[in-house]
Amino acid sequence: MAKSDLALMAHLLRRAGFGATRDEIEEYAEKGYEDVVEDLVNPERCPPLDEDIISRYYDGENHVIWTSTWMYRMIVTRRPLVEKMALFWHHVFATGAGKVEHGPSMINQIQMFRKHGFGDFRTLLVELSRDPAMIFWLDNNENRLGEPNENYGRELLELFSMGAGNYSEDDIKNASRAFTGWTFTQPIPLYPQGHHPSEFVFKPQEHDYGPKTFLGESGNFDGEDIIDIIVRQEATARFIARHLYNFYVADEPQVPAWPIEPPQDQEAIDAIVQTYFDTGGDMRAIMRMILLSDFFKEARFKKVKSPTELVTGVLKLGGSITAPQPGIGRYQAATGLMGQQLLNPPTVEGWHTGREWIDGGTLNERINFAVEHIGDAEKPGVQEIIRRLGGNGDGGSARLSPEDFTERCLTLAGPLDVGEQTRQTLLDYARSGGTLDLSAPEERGKSVPRVVHMLQMIVSSKEYQFA
Amino acid sequence: MGRPYGLLRAGYPYLKTLGMRRITNFPLDIAIGDEGRLYILCRNDGAALIRVWSIDDAERLTDDLVGIGSYGSGEGQYTWPVNIIRDADENLYVSDEALHRIVSFSREGEYIGSWGEAGEAEGQLNGPAGIAFDADENMLVVDSLNHRVQKFSREGEFIGGWGSFGDGPGEFDMPWGVTVDELGYVYVVDWRNDRVQKFDSDGEFVFEIGSSGDGPGELNRPAGVAVDRFGDIYVADTGNNRVQLFNEHGRYVQRFIGDSTLSRVARDYMLTNAYPNRLRDMADLEGEKRLRAPKNVRVDDDLMFVPDYRSYRVQVYKNEAIPLDEHQISEPLRAPTLATV
Repeated sequence: MAKSDLALMAHLLRRAGFGATRDEIEEYAEKGYEDVVEDLVNPERCPPLDEDIISRYYDGENHVIWTSTWMYRMIVTRRPLVEKMALFWHHVFATGAGKVEHGPSMINQIQMFRKHGFGDFRTLLVELSRDPAMIFWLDNNENRLGEPNENYGRELLELFSMGAGNYSEDDIKNASRAFTGWTFTQPIPLYPQGHHPSEFVFKPQEHDYGPKTFLGESGNFDGEDIIDIIVRQEATARFIARHLYNFYVADEPQVPAWPIEPPQDQEAIDAIVQTYFDTGGDMRAIMRMILLSDFFKEARFKKVKSPTELVTGVLKLGGSITAPQPGIGRYQAATGLMGQQLLNPPTVEGWHTGREWIDGGTLNERINFAVEHIGDAEKPGVQEIIRRLGGNGDGGSARLSPEDFTERCLTLAGPLDVGEQTRQTLLDYARSGGTLDLSAPEERGKSVPRVVHMLQMIVSSKEYQFA
Repeated sequence: MGRPYGLLRAGYPYLKTLGMRRITNFPLDIAIGDEGRLYILCRNDGAALIRVWSIDDAERLTDDLVGIGSYGSGEGQYTWPVNIIRDADENLYVSDEALHRIVSFSREGEYIGSWGEAGEAEGQLNGPAGIAFDADENMLVVDSLNHRVQKFSREGEFIGGWGSFGDGPGEFDMPWGVTVDELGYVYVVDWRNDRVQKFDSDGEFVFEIGSSGDGPGELNRPAGVAVDRFGDIYVADTGNNRVQLFNEHGRYVQRFIGDSTLSRVARDYMLTNAYPNRLRDMADLEGEKRLRAPKNVRVDDDLMFVPDYRSYRVQVYKNEAIPLDEHQISEPLRAPTLATV
């Protein structure tokens, strides 16, 4: 199989999923890029997650178990784009457990993203507006006839659909009036016997049925009418297109800069916008178009991995999690130290992405996590790389020159493109030990630690920080 | 004492609730001690505990809560405990499906020892789940990920076993709970096959209860099983959030979906917590009564204990069945009838 095919497949699986083992990359590449994209955007073609197993081993309720279980899903799912879309919408419609302490509602919101994240954008916005976690997060439960609370109406326009500069203050006021009475049932409190769910409820006595003017249109609008108007706007298509580009293709500036900084690839944004209007905002069709596009295929390593992507990618590389195991909470703790606590974004604007993931502290955390994890030669993924290097399959040889040793490790750990400086550093290390010999047990004893160290150097490289 | 000829099922009312959040977090199982002592096994990923409690519950929440063992992988610790049982001396035994071992404690909480070796060979364990003593105080261990039942001495010497992966008689798919009745029959919860299988003491298949579904007598990923002194069979029907009762022949009798009230300790706690009281006043409380993912059921004389996993409590019911002799209940009928008496 051509190395370029594998590299492209690895790119697709990093972006539309959370990385892949070498076996998975080869299995997918065998199938062909277009077919794999169809599987990704039609997840029902692949087996679902085993929910029984998850509930048997990861039952319970607290933030740690919920976020850990989500990470477990990301790692073992055969429908990776479902979880990646849920993460995407979690970035865009950022809702935080710091305020929404009601875990079941937070989890239900993510489940709603799984269910509707591939549907049409209008349905998604309606479901979002009916979501108890979102309603509480942005105070729509306080939005009543005669006492409007404009928080949700404002963010719906500014951060969830059109972007700043495309509407007026009056539009915000009228949108907010349209969502009066959209609230949720009071759940039974956590103490003394545990969380109970909350559900959306419309209270007609709290709704403003009066006439409203929104984006130049007038009528006795309710929330769904407002969303109908929003999804017809070109600004909405452009805003969501840029979010998709930023999340799936290449890092863009942070959202507040979008009104003043044009997209780095206007043609790509235009193409996404065109698909949005051609398909009625069908996210499945839009994702298919993006993943098949040249601008996506050419965007390898043009995104800094989010902490979630970094940790799940390392765990996939290590082949560490294929079934439930104790202590999975430490992985969600790791992403938290790197600046991304799932279900708890810092503000409604979500996480700042790209190079803002990296500072002195978080870079240390990222590298330490990867190095420590890959430093265990017993990890199945590391064992598999050693096996392949040792000549059992994949054309490896039991004796490798320093140059081959370096190249093959870069291929098996990625394939990863590295710059000259990094390559030279890796080569210097490989040369310091001479030929890598995995042929005899006494040689393996010396060579395996060299492989592990080489892999540690690779995952601590600058290039490994990019997806 | 032999089993009665028949039963007048006069009622099986809810009696009381024990525990609350902070005291009995995620109760998975319960062992019944003497003189009203209870040992409630609590587990969540990253936390586990045996809470020593009382049938009288507690008057108030204090800082002097007593627990046995702790979360971890060292001596006297457990990581993913599943079942807790007692022996005649009230020593406690806990299965640990993460560490593949059985750990034991005295009733005072002193660590006694542990045994178990990970693997799939005879006498090795992979994900031990349900445990139960037979009349000789040998321990039956549901070796879940090896899809079999194995018998050991109390000290862990391998005696025998049966079962393999599958869905036929005597086959299992990730079995979970187990119990032994006073006649020596063994009941194994075949979790992924949505059934309970009954075996004689040699592992010979007798019958099975249940099929997949949520109707009467159907099961959805059941986890626990118990048999009372009348031979009635109780199944913790986890996925359907209920306990189902079958008679000794496996015929469905009734279900328990939960009737909880606030425990004594919970009432005391709530009297000093104004905000949650207001929230409760605004909420629909119907759902609070119901069982949520019960993972086992235990019976002790006339009492049924249901660890109510997602509600941080144990619900207790009282059996008011009255034994009947041949003069008090007619012979079994071969078919249903519309005749009146």
